[in-house]
Amino acid sequence: MAKALTFAQQLERLEAIVRRLESPDLDLDEALKLFEEGVEGLRAMRERLSSAEAKVKQVLSAENLDE
Amino acid sequence: MGAGLDLFAAASAEGAWTVGEVTRRARAVVEAGLPPLWVRGEVSGLKRWQSGHWYFTLRDRTAQLRCVMFAKDNRRLPTAPADGMQVFAFGRPTVWEDKGEFRLTVVELLSTEAGGLWQVAFEKAKAALARDGLLDPARKRPLPAYAQRIAVITSPDGAALRDIVAVVARRWPLAELLVVPTRVQGEGAVAELCAAFKLLGRLRGLDVCIVGRGGGSKEDLWAFNSELVARAVAAASVPVISAIGHETDVTLCDLVADFRAATPSAAAAAATPDQAEVLDDVAHLGNRLGRGLASRVDLAAQRLEQSLDQLSGAVALRLERHRHQLATASGRLDALSPLRILERGYSLARDARGQVLRRVAQFPAGLAFRLRVWDGEVSASVPES
Repeated sequence: MAKALTFAQQLERLEAIVRRLESPDLDLDEALKLFEEGVEGLRAMRERLSSAEAKVKQVLSAENLDE
Repeated sequence: MGAGLDLFAAASAEGAWTVGEVTRRARAVVEAGLPPLWVRGEVSGLKRWQSGHWYFTLRDRTAQLRCVMFAKDNRRLPTAPADGMQVFAFGRPTVWEDKGEFRLTVVELLSTEAGGLWQVAFEKAKAALARDGLLDPARKRPLPAYAQRIAVITSPDGAALRDIVAVVARRWPLAELLVVPTRVQGEGAVAELCAAFKLLGRLRGLDVCIVGRGGGSKEDLWAFNSELVARAVAAASVPVISAIGHETDVTLCDLVADFRAATPSAAAAAATPDQAEVLDDVAHLGNRLGRGLASRVDLAAQRLEQSLDQLSGAVALRLERHRHQLATASGRLDALSPLRILERGYSLARDARGQVLRRVAQFPAGLAFRLRVWDGEVSASVPES
């Protein structure tokens, strides 16, 4: 299973979709698919922003470290 | 004469002082007569012993004074004075009995140079960092635009941490703050700060680090002027934002960091985007997405129309060609038409059944037949013979 995308990656993907959608050589089928993916991305990003609450953790040597 | 005799009389085991007695007495006289005091002079011949004690001489044009500054006292100083440096030394004049030496036991030392020893130490460390290219602006790393994990190296109960948490919670609640608690001043601060920067490399998914502490005296901020800490900042696994002291205090840590913020709050703002702006950007992308699709659909419709036009154009062309062929054919047909021949004066004979009569043998006497001329038909007959 792929790791969850970071916000920056989500934004990057959405920008790529929009750019692709704005380029003239694209057939309608692909455009529709991209649009659906873009709308889904938008929804996910909005949700992520609205539900977020800053977390504060103390790092004492052992926690949060890579294994 | 008598005095001379007395003098010699004292040169006996009972009358003479021992070396120990006289030096002890000298020490008592010196310590009683000279309270702790400030001495001004030029440092020369400074030696650092394994024990950490410093031995040096203070001198001016006419005299020299042997000095010692013990490790417990010189540890507070950022660096040892260089030979030839003019200093003020505060200490207690004494006599070292075992060596029979007059000494000043120094407990405080100030350089008369601008900024004092702190400045001297600062410049020395700064020069070393510059030599290794660590102050080169080209090595500064860009900060992440949408940080998700932010490490904060600071005192766990300082105002700096509270400010950082508040700003991040408001601007970019997506972020997770990993606080690495460290002492930021005094004994052990340098070692803890170095360890904290080293720890960053082991924090998963970390985007950026903020190191901060509020304002304080030059001495309070000293750990951040440590060459060791500056090197740890330079070696950090992620970009470092530094917010140490007030805006006017520039520490080595600030100089080496990838970004210097005036305050811990400003550091937090530099580490995060503003969520309202990000939402705007996302909404803008949403609009572009919609427009993109709409223009794609328009384009498709346009192409369809174009194709239809092309198709009907082709059909019309074919029709036209057929029409032309028809006209040509009908022209030729016309030329061949027997009516055109009749027009020229010929006529056509047919019997009652419509059979064309071509030969004389087909005309027996008395035969009634019909004659087709150009503009109609007439009845005719062969005369009875």
